[in-house]
Amino acid sequence: MISGLFLSGIIVWLAGAMASLALWRKPVAARRAACAAALAGSLLDLSASAFAIFSSSPTVIGLPFGNPVFSWAVRIDPLSAYFNVTLGVLATAVSLYSFGYLREMEGRRNLGAFGFFFNLLLMSLALVFTASNVFFFLVAWEVMALSAFCLVIFEHEKEEARNAGVLFLVMSHAGTGLLLIAFLLLTSVSGSLDFLSFHLLASSLSPLEQGAVFLLFLCGFGVKAGLVPVHIWLPEAHPVAPSNVSALMSGIVIKTGIYGMARVFFDFYGAPPIWMGTVVLALGVVSALLGVLYALMEHDLKRLLAWHSIENIGIILMGFGAALMFRALGQPNLAALALIAGLYHTFNHATFKGLLFLGAGSVVHSTHTRNMEKMGGLIRRMPVTAICFLVGAVAISGLPPLNGFVSEWLTYQALLAGFGTTQSLTRLMFPIAGSLLALTAALAAACFVKAFAIPFLALPRSEQAADAREASPSMRAGMAMLAVGCVALGLGATWLVRVFDPITQQTLGVSASSAMVTARGLALTPGTAHGGTISTVGMALLFLFAGAAFALPLAIRWRRRSVKAPAWDCGLPGLTADNEYTATAFSKPLRLIFSALYRPRREIEAEYEVSPYYPSAIRFESEIEPTFEKHLYEPLRQRIMAAAKRMRAIQAGSINAYLAYIFITLILLLLFGVRG
Amino acid sequence: MRPFLDMQFGDRIITLMAALVLVLQIAVVAQRWIVTHIRIFAIQSFLLAMIAATIAWFNHAPHIYIAAALTLVVKVILVPIIFERLVVRMDIREEIKPIINVPLSVVISGGLTLLGYVVAESFYKQNEPGLGHNELAVAISLFLIGFFTMINRRKALTQVLALLSLENGLFLAAISLTYGMPLIVELGILFDVLVAAMVLGILVYRIRETFESIDVSRLRRLRG
Repeated sequence: MISGLFLSGIIVWLAGAMASLALWRKPVAARRAACAAALAGSLLDLSASAFAIFSSSPTVIGLPFGNPVFSWAVRIDPLSAYFNVTLGVLATAVSLYSFGYLREMEGRRNLGAFGFFFNLLLMSLALVFTASNVFFFLVAWEVMALSAFCLVIFEHEKEEARNAGVLFLVMSHAGTGLLLIAFLLLTSVSGSLDFLSFHLLASSLSPLEQGAVFLLFLCGFGVKAGLVPVHIWLPEAHPVAPSNVSALMSGIVIKTGIYGMARVFFDFYGAPPIWMGTVVLALGVVSALLGVLYALMEHDLKRLLAWHSIENIGIILMGFGAALMFRALGQPNLAALALIAGLYHTFNHATFKGLLFLGAGSVVHSTHTRNMEKMGGLIRRMPVTAICFLVGAVAISGLPPLNGFVSEWLTYQALLAGFGTTQSLTRLMFPIAGSLLALTAALAAACFVKAFAIPFLALPRSEQAADAREASPSMRAGMAMLAVGCVALGLGATWLVRVFDPITQQTLGVSASSAMVTARGLALTPGTAHGGTISTVGMALLFLFAGAAFALPLAIRWRRRSVKAPAWDCGLPGLTADNEYTATAFSKPLRLIFSALYRPRREIEAEYEVSPYYPSAIRFESEIEPTFEKHLYEPLRQRIMAAAKRMRAIQAGSINAYLAYIFITLILLLLFGVRG
Repeated sequence: MRPFLDMQFGDRIITLMAALVLVLQIAVVAQRWIVTHIRIFAIQSFLLAMIAATIAWFNHAPHIYIAAALTLVVKVILVPIIFERLVVRMDIREEIKPIINVPLSVVISGGLTLLGYVVAESFYKQNEPGLGHNELAVAISLFLIGFFTMINRRKALTQVLALLSLENGLFLAAISLTYGMPLIVELGILFDVLVAAMVLGILVYRIRETFESIDVSRLRRLRG
């Protein structure tokens, strides 16, 4: 049944891709076909993987073509199924949302092409998560990268989109190259391309090879995941794509990197040396912190969300890194806890980041700008969008009782428990990472105060914002679905941790969930010696009661006597949107605190007629230094260009010369062969 | 009729024809007329078809006859006709100026033949029966000289002809070492050659239309 559902999902996606391509001259039909197929395929995929996660043995499906070396086969084990569930949930909501979101593009853009690549992307994602051998995995991986590229440059008349697309493509292919080398190294040892033959294989390599394979995989998958310092494509490519694509990119496409790392670190490696875990943990901390710090300085709503994806990838990798370290230290139960934290956060991030991007999409869709400073007051004009966005913002800030809180809390608990596991200096990593995670979460909360308050509260800052209209019903339905998901994943934490048992059993050989649930399934505990206990349901009830106790007297008094008065205006009547607190002003304190990192540059020019104390106009410009682009990628780019310039001497433009190159190479090889 | 069943005799005939093929290849290097080049190619291909037929006869491998017949049709008849028509239509008769002059080219061809024998020697085992290192050496030499001709000529048409004689070398190597590849491969290659000849013919025509010459050194202008 699982294989039937899964295959029909793939076929529906494929059919949707073909149908929307065939219908490209009829935009309405193309949009409907593409979205309906995407929705149906996602639901089929979701149900297949929901069954598969609890099935006792992996489901193996061989497609009826290919040959023994390059077989087209998928294997749905618990880990694959888990990532597929994530895909299914997010893709269902996004497909629903796309019905309304794409309507505006009808007749103006080629929706047939969009539907083709959209369905192809979903299909390739499902296959990436389930492919059972190197060949099929890399094919699916490339189809995914190329369809994502085509969706990123969908608005290709914008130079910004084209540049971002090219950057994405270049980095993605560089990453795939590293993966190819790593897979070939493993294949040369196992003698097979099948992932099953790689199980625990890496641990039998020599330490040097082990390290090399590890670093290749880390960089290769890190590019896709958006790990610092190979993240630079992410804040460029995610914002320029149409918003439903951004939601998929941030929600699930970058998770393919996480899936790859989970597969490699916990399936291919048995007991990795401790430095690997330390590297992953350290990179996770750096990504999380830098992601949120750059997000704080961003006033483009979608770019801000993209930077937060880097932050959350960092948090996920903190869980993975801690799990690797615990494994090296011989603590399988703690490793299971940390792995659960990482995987749980993966799912959570897919829901709330998907939700936030869909919300941002609705906002951008109706205000036609991505600049927060031009929004404002949208909560009155788009109440449903505002509430959904608020739910997402609360979840991503890690506030109880929503889902972001649960997984971040589990990560803390794992990190805090780590200090006692070893006597070596490495143990210092745990409290340092824990405290930096706390800092990250606090900064994220600050950032989302800005990201919610500036666009949605107060007065509209521009005419577009004043004319904003609520999103269409299907868009609201897509957002509401993910908002409900965020709440359910938070409140249902004690039930959900059971889902991870098959995964930890498969990778680490232990089940952690029974130790993690106490108080008759109402409270969550890490199951460690001095761990805390938390009940999201309890907290929700507490908030509800406290809120009611606080609101009831107010409501009673409100009914009796309500006075409407102007806001406090310092005695200057007639406050306008110009007097509002701006996003730049909001983030100013943090810009000063972290100026060593940002190296902010600002320029103020005042025009005046009589005296500088009475300016008639002030121009203010502020920007921060893109550290990685400037100090890492720019020198690299210059080297490559210089090398290319030198290489051009070989390009003579003459066929005879090119033939001579080949000929000389051939002769040399022949002589070499004869001698040897 | 006895000699026609004797393997030794067959081997000698094949070696003789292979030597002729090699001589023709060097003759290509030594002359300038395009029509002559096409005719030499046709004769060379004819000898090759005969070699294939001889191998088929002495080794009782009837499927090689088909390969021989196809070689005859495609390389001895079709390709030369296509090319001669092209020559007439474009009114080109002479390869103006090879990059390396004729005497030096012939010397280089001799050197390449030597290299062919040295390389073939390393594949050849002393006590192995059947067709041997002579054919392989000739085949490698054909390949190398064909390649050298491609480098040495400026007209696109002669380069295509050189490519085809290079392919003849591959054919000779294949049939002399394996007594014929599987027929399907043979068919594929011949079909390939025919298509390549037609496509290249069109390409050559296009190059001339664009650059008013089929001198490939004009293509330098395409460089970015």
